[in-house]
Amino acid sequence: MSTGKQRIDGAAAFLLHAHPYSETSLILDVFSRPYGRLALLARGARRPRSALRGVLLGFQPLELSWFGGGEVKTLARAEWMGGIALLSGKCLLLGYYLNELLLKLLPREDAHPVLYDAYADALGALSRGSAEAAELRRFEKILLRELGYGLALDKEVASGEPVRADRQYVYLVERGAVEARDDEGLPSISGKTLLDLAADDYDDPRTLAESKALMRQLVAHYLAGQPLQSRRVFVELQDL
Amino acid sequence: MSSPSSLDELIEALRCLPGVGPKSAQRMAYHLLQRNPRGAERLGQAIDHALKTLRRCARCNTFTEDEVCDRCASPRRDPTQLCIVEMPVDLNTMEQTHAYGGLYYVLMGRLSPLDGIGPKELGFERLLARATDGVVKEVILATNFTNEGEATAHYLSEVLHARGLKVSRIARGLPVGGELEYSDAATVAQAFIERRDY
Ligand SMILES: [Zn+2]
Repeated sequence: MSTGKQRIDGAAAFLLHAHPYSETSLILDVFSRPYGRLALLARGARRPRSALRGVLLGFQPLELSWFGGGEVKTLARAEWMGGIALLSGKCLLLGYYLNELLLKLLPREDAHPVLYDAYADALGALSRGSAEAAELRRFEKILLRELGYGLALDKEVASGEPVRADRQYVYLVERGAVEARDDEGLPSISGKTLLDLAADDYDDPRTLAESKALMRQLVAHYLAGQPLQSRRVFVELQDL
Repeated sequence: MSSPSSLDELIEALRCLPGVGPKSAQRMAYHLLQRNPRGAERLGQAIDHALKTLRRCARCNTFTEDEVCDRCASPRRDPTQLCIVEMPVDLNTMEQTHAYGGLYYVLMGRLSPLDGIGPKELGFERLLARATDGVVKEVILATNFTNEGEATAHYLSEVLHARGLKVSRIARGLPVGGELEYSDAATVAQAFIERRDY
């Protein structure tokens, strides 16, 4: 069957971003569970009485159907599935951060069901307003792993020795943790933080602070110089 | 086929309109030149005139020919209430309700982190100066019930509360005459979550 006639029915998906296209339509950037990130043309979605208006919501589980084979497919149907409360306040801004990471790091048409589930879990947690920082770290870790940049957190890379909670390390991008010496010039990170991060245990405030700094460094590396707009806006809003 | 540069220039200029791609810009250009040169002349003059005479009202941020627009200057409006909307069309809709007699501030947008629209781009400082003029007592947040509108309302409420103002948000729910059966599920869900004592 030619890809030009391909039709997908009822795929679980989230809307990551939308921008206007012509007078009445939208181009959607969606993250679907079975097919990954893709672009969909939503015809007439901006018409005043469009049934899509109350359905195409960010951070909400949707079921989408589409057809077509090119780079931009055509949305045929959209249904709101519910189950995650609307995000609000600070958690809404953090939701944008998650979306921006996916938009900038996840290639199109590459299925990542594990990452999709992690994203849905993170949104669920944000909608309940629970421990946001821990949720972000968990998501960033799975994102990097799914993109093929998994972290080596429990072994010292040079020696292969297990990381020890009472030692200091530095984390080298694409290599892993090495024991800290005075001349590294990188921020040092405690062995306990590395082990906590490996175990997704974020109860210790120091773990939270150090893992945030580490993840920021790693994410910045893979973004290769692209600035994160959502973070800039978030910081500006905190400063008001 | 190459066309004269002034034609290219016109086509390129028309593309600044939202939703106008190269093809529609070309169609518009030929229409103006061929079918309606007088309309084109009028359009050119109107744009020129508007750019020279219109500016932002010092109080509500909408376009006006004066320092302060008629609505903001009207003694019949209650200056202690300030309603914040995203766009001029939202202001018009609020006015059609005849339910509100206070003043407005039009943001000319909403927070949109993924498009790089933050408090600086929206001019939050200017709004804060307006809301804290000492006369305004209550701010009514009437931004849209989209994620962007909600984010905007949330941060405005935080900064306005912090400055001692009473802040309210328009309520969300089913349309008047709306039947559950014909309403979209997300609206009904939110109306349920925000149900009130009755
Ligand atoms: Zn005014």
